[in-house]
Amino acid sequence: MIDFKEKVSETLSLRTGAEVTIEWRINIKGVMTGWCRLREAALILPAAEAVAGLEGRLSMITAYLSDSAKQKGVREIAFHFDLDGTTLTLGIELPLEGARIPSLTPLFRNADWHEREFMELYDIQVIGHPAPRRLFLDRSIDPAAFERLIPYSTFSNGANSKALWEKVMARSGNNRKELQ
Amino acid sequence: MSGTVITLGPQQLALEEPMYFSVEVDGEIVVGLDVLAGHVHRGMEHLVMKRNFYQNITLLERLCSLCSNSHPSTFCTAVEELAGIRIPARAEYLRAIADEIKRISSHLFNCAIIAHIIGQGTLFKRVMEVREIMQDTKESIYGNRMDLAANCIGGVRYDLTPESAVYLGKQMERIKGPLEELYRIYATDHAIRTRTEGLGVLPNRDAINYAVVGPVARASGIDYDVRRKSPYWAYDRLRFQVAVEQAGDVRARAMVRLREAREAVSLIEQCLVDLPPGPLCSDTLPEIPAGETIAKSEAPRGELIYYLNTDGTDMPVRLKWRVPSYMNWDALQVMLKGQRVADIPLIVNSIDPCISCTDR
Repeated sequence: MIDFKEKVSETLSLRTGAEVTIEWRINIKGVMTGWCRLREAALILPAAEAVAGLEGRLSMITAYLSDSAKQKGVREIAFHFDLDGTTLTLGIELPLEGARIPSLTPLFRNADWHEREFMELYDIQVIGHPAPRRLFLDRSIDPAAFERLIPYSTFSNGANSKALWEKVMARSGNNRKELQ
Repeated sequence: MSGTVITLGPQQLALEEPMYFSVEVDGEIVVGLDVLAGHVHRGMEHLVMKRNFYQNITLLERLCSLCSNSHPSTFCTAVEELAGIRIPARAEYLRAIADEIKRISSHLFNCAIIAHIIGQGTLFKRVMEVREIMQDTKESIYGNRMDLAANCIGGVRYDLTPESAVYLGKQMERIKGPLEELYRIYATDHAIRTRTEGLGVLPNRDAINYAVVGPVARASGIDYDVRRKSPYWAYDRLRFQVAVEQAGDVRARAMVRLREAREAVSLIEQCLVDLPPGPLCSDTLPEIPAGETIAKSEAPRGELIYYLNTDGTDMPVRLKWRVPSYMNWDALQVMLKGQRVADIPLIVNSIDPCISCTDR
């Protein structure tokens, strides 16, 4: 266990060229999670290379914007990797405005959907994504949907509400006003 | 005909939920695929940030139907992990029982759909009939056939009385024979083998590359099961074999599910034998502190992961989850390439996709 922890820390430090500190937590079942903050966004690429070298798997990416982070003028993003049952989370702070982060798709193919999803929910630009198009939300909806007030019926593509009925009527030509 | 693009929707693909595919074909052979998702996007990750922890248990159970127990139970585990709540031993077993009951129902549903697509109407009816044993079981114990409402923060909100435990044991006895029969049919029936063997292959290296999980991964030789790799609830005390196949085809995925259904029966029986007495839920719950945590479980479709971030209030700052179908969709690009258009529905359903879970 100690060897594993040291190996992960050393590999990350070596690849990123910075001293990486990981907080390891073990729960009552003996399952371990690792928590690490990288000091700058650019380090995520070498850190992810280190994880790939350890035969890790990208499990999930979580972008989020808390009130406390907003007050500090930052936003956050967490990359969760699986190392044979141990989840390692690498957290990064990004600027509130003009946040940019390198794509992990060259290293982890499944980063594709994760990156496309958080790009439509938060104001974060992914650099180097092979096809940075919408994943779930319609192109007519402005990006960064989680950072703006949007009518719920619009957010859910108007799939089951008055909004859908109005769209149908407009397309069938029964609502001249909406067609104009 | 090269470069022709056709759009396939839920009806052509025998899916119960809306998912569309933009398929590039050369004659009747698939050469490219784009998955068009988002048709049941309900903004649920936004909604959970506007509700307190208790409300979210109810909301998350309604995320989808087939894995409806996995979401609230994994969410509760995340809250408990963060607050340092140790759930009673009896609750650990009862949570495992609820999840395994749902697993059998879910896997049988998929095997029935596979039979339906390959034109085995009688087998479809037989699998659904066997599945009814589990549906009856859920209805009798939990009062519902799909949403069990079994979980609360700190434990469970249902119990097995001595009578209901005996009933559950008898239901397991009742389903064993039919499960063996189904396993034998899927393993040996010539017509089924002809339609499923060598079809929609996901080689092991691609399964790793696409980071697929659950039965899709295990059918491609990846020996990974969250219950074994990161034990939770009572799974560290239960004995089970992780079902792994090597072929990576439609048949291998069906065989993994049928083997897992048999293992689930064994797990439920072990739980009934080992079920300790005691409370169902912690008497008092602490404040949920500020912090962040991860919780995982093996849902019927594979690894389900939750990330919870809190600030000391009763509402999450962020609650994010990634469902197993999320990566499995993308891997269809490998499974479908070079296959006939007519086989698309069978291959798509062989990953047992959950669209409500994917879109959220």
